[in-house]
Amino acid sequence: MQLLSTHVAQDVISHGLEMGADFVDLFIERTHSEGILYKNSKAEDIQSGTIFGIGIRLIHGEQALYGYTNLTDREELLRITTLLGAQIGAKGVGNRSINFEALKYPKIPTITDQEVDAHYKLSYLKKIDERLRKDQKVSQVMLNFSQKKQVVEIYNSEGLMASEERPYIRLFHQVVMKDGKNQSEASFGPGATGGWNFIEGLNLEHNCDTLIKQATTMLHASPCPAGKMPVVIDNGFGGVIFHEACGHLLETTSVEKKASVFWDKMGEQIAHTALSAVDDGTIHGAWGSLSIDDEGMPTQKTLLIEKGILKNFISDRLGEKKSGHKRTGSGRRQSYKFAPASRMRNTYIEKGEYDLDQIIASVPDGLYAKKMGGGSVDPSTGQFNFSVQEAYLIKNGKISAPVKGATLIGTGPEVLGRISMVGKNLELMAGMCGSVSGSIPTTVGQPPIKVDDILVGGEA
Amino acid sequence: MKHLMENVLDRLSKHNAEGDLFYTTSKSLKLSSQKGALSEYKVSSAQILGVRAIKDGRIGISYTEALDDESVNLLVKEVIKNAEMSAENHHEKILNISGSLSDEVYYPEDFVDIKEKISKALELEAKPKMLDSRVVAVPYNAYSESENHQVYLNSYGRFTTYKDKHYSVASSALMDQLGKKANFYDYHLARSFHDLNWDKVVQNSLYHASHLLEEKTLPTGKYSVKFNSDCLKNIIECFGNFYSAKSAIDKVNPWAEKIGQEVVSKDISIIDHPLYEKAFRISKFDSEGVERKVMPLVSDGVLKNIYHNSATAQYFKTQTTGHASRGAGSALNVSGTHLLIQGQNAKTAPAKFLEVIQLDGLYSGANRVTGSFSVGVKGYVWENGEKTMTFGNMTLSGNLSDLLNHVEVLGLDLESSTDESFFSVPLVFDGVSLAGP
Repeated sequence: MQLLSTHVAQDVISHGLEMGADFVDLFIERTHSEGILYKNSKAEDIQSGTIFGIGIRLIHGEQALYGYTNLTDREELLRITTLLGAQIGAKGVGNRSINFEALKYPKIPTITDQEVDAHYKLSYLKKIDERLRKDQKVSQVMLNFSQKKQVVEIYNSEGLMASEERPYIRLFHQVVMKDGKNQSEASFGPGATGGWNFIEGLNLEHNCDTLIKQATTMLHASPCPAGKMPVVIDNGFGGVIFHEACGHLLETTSVEKKASVFWDKMGEQIAHTALSAVDDGTIHGAWGSLSIDDEGMPTQKTLLIEKGILKNFISDRLGEKKSGHKRTGSGRRQSYKFAPASRMRNTYIEKGEYDLDQIIASVPDGLYAKKMGGGSVDPSTGQFNFSVQEAYLIKNGKISAPVKGATLIGTGPEVLGRISMVGKNLELMAGMCGSVSGSIPTTVGQPPIKVDDILVGGEA
Repeated sequence: MKHLMENVLDRLSKHNAEGDLFYTTSKSLKLSSQKGALSEYKVSSAQILGVRAIKDGRIGISYTEALDDESVNLLVKEVIKNAEMSAENHHEKILNISGSLSDEVYYPEDFVDIKEKISKALELEAKPKMLDSRVVAVPYNAYSESENHQVYLNSYGRFTTYKDKHYSVASSALMDQLGKKANFYDYHLARSFHDLNWDKVVQNSLYHASHLLEEKTLPTGKYSVKFNSDCLKNIIECFGNFYSAKSAIDKVNPWAEKIGQEVVSKDISIIDHPLYEKAFRISKFDSEGVERKVMPLVSDGVLKNIYHNSATAQYFKTQTTGHASRGAGSALNVSGTHLLIQGQNAKTAPAKFLEVIQLDGLYSGANRVTGSFSVGVKGYVWENGEKTMTFGNMTLSGNLSDLLNHVEVLGLDLESSTDESFFSVPLVFDGVSLAGP
């Protein structure tokens, strides 16, 4: 079902051009979401809802004017367009009719859906809850299941008309463990573009065992010692460091303002020769995949760094205009309430040649960050700070005692130059990325890597 | 809108369900600039209708941003379906209270021309560059205004309205000095355009960014630390579960069984004060329509109360404290209002202490179950009443309970956070662990 009449889209876009805009686009979205919070061994909250709205963007030179509304009537959309266009202060080209042509693009496959009812989903969550609670030290299990279907339509003044239906599914697991005065927690949040078959395909037993092992290990871990040391960061969510400390610095949103330390480094060696990295929107079923971006451009696999040399930035329409770096199908946004911006999709370090054992064996004295937590980065300086959820000391090339409270601190450029070993075992993990155009699904990933020297925060 | 809300409640009652609804509308304007020109002009108008239904002791929630008949029909159908699928919860009920309450802040009519707003917004980017040649970019700068209106109605006729408008201005300064980069961000909130302190945000950004260019690391060790009000607010709020009855039910509140016990230093008291006159915005009622009042959380170090809504109160066989929180599309929870940390037995500041002005990665490095956290910090070294050095590239690790038990009060006057929602006497925490290279 079409979300907005083509005639209304034509009228609004023509009006924007009349008001002096060089370019006008409309983003129409209807998203239906469902969520189940399974906690205290029962379905505590079940909720669902619909968001619906239209975003209107006028671009004039490098200036972007953006407005949104929940109302679809022609008059409201023209009112907002007039409000935006009044800021341009230039005369447009007169009444122009736009002939839309539906964009044909390759569909990136999602994980096939299997219709299951809410009873079935609840029984599945109950099974996970019971499995985790078999360990007597588990004091709480929280399972947050979410599923949504986002339908988008995009029209622009170049005659583009595109639409996509994007199904998302995610199951976040969190377990809390208590033993006397000690408490610990562990979490895991797999997600995909697709339906229930993704959940059925998860290895429930293995995932529960991993969570219990992590929480058990950290329950009696000693405080992490502080100081500079080599750190081995394991695969999967370890890629969050690359995402935060490098990926955001490669988005034209930062580059165009010179607010990235890499803004003038195209073609230069910015990382160790061991490192190559990509941002790939085309991975089948991956959490950050899209067939088209939120500006209606088919998505692509973008080589960011090849053997340490900066090859491409992550760019959207406005980013291309402001920075000169070509669009990469990376214009993304949380919803119609945000103008699109250059954002990551599935971003990861490509696999290398080492086994994890070989990497660990190369470290006489350091830290093994098995599971990373979240963190933050200032793109303008590249400085980052990340927590480690599960960490162990490395002594004489072997994994030793578990430690808690470890954080990794540094700058993106420094760390990129110090990644000297890259492993074979690439793994991707789902996450949510918050930035200028809101919170969007992205995948992080990497094989195990060794950073020769990084500041580890812990107990003094 | 009240008519539509009543209509939804009528339809719930036909399903033998009761409920409550929020209808929220918002309007906003945001301007920011780059390279001397307006780079962003964003206007919005949005609405959302959210319903909570309780049927046979089971709770469902649904919301919609589209208010056509089809969407509202779907809203009712889904909320009933969601309730039927939920587990029984005999503690959560729609409060049997009626009557109307209003909390609509007066704000002056905005006669400011958009051209003046744009002109001032452009200055946010231009001024830092003009005032200091080391500023290479102003990566974040914005003028914003936001107006929100919320209406609440429940099956027993409780009807509340809330209206608020605020203006804000933000700026930053990214400096480069011989390849070393530093950035700082500041903002200011006001009730009217003319009350905005544009110069303050620019000056503060420049002041701190220029000092951070000089940052050095300190030797790893234990230090006396004072957090500025914004940093202290962030740490206290990060562990809001310590005061939450909902977290106690979920077994993630380490203070759950400590009411009546000494949990922090005897020198401090913590008050939740929804009606505090110096706060940016008082809060007259909670999300269940319950009138709020001042509540001591900690008195002379002893935990006195935790936050309750009507459901947690029922669970613990006590009274709601008026701290229910819920949005149009979210489940019933609890949250605090304005926090005041008061002190006694004030002492003089130690000869040397660190003032933390920036925290990085607090939420990702925090374990809310234990209160432990590890965070990147920057700030100033104070010696004998003077700033002697800027420090950075350090991590601070601590535990909320430990911090609040090893604290000295430096004065009795309250210092406010930038958003005027958190107020504390100046505090210095002893023996805080900082690690550097």
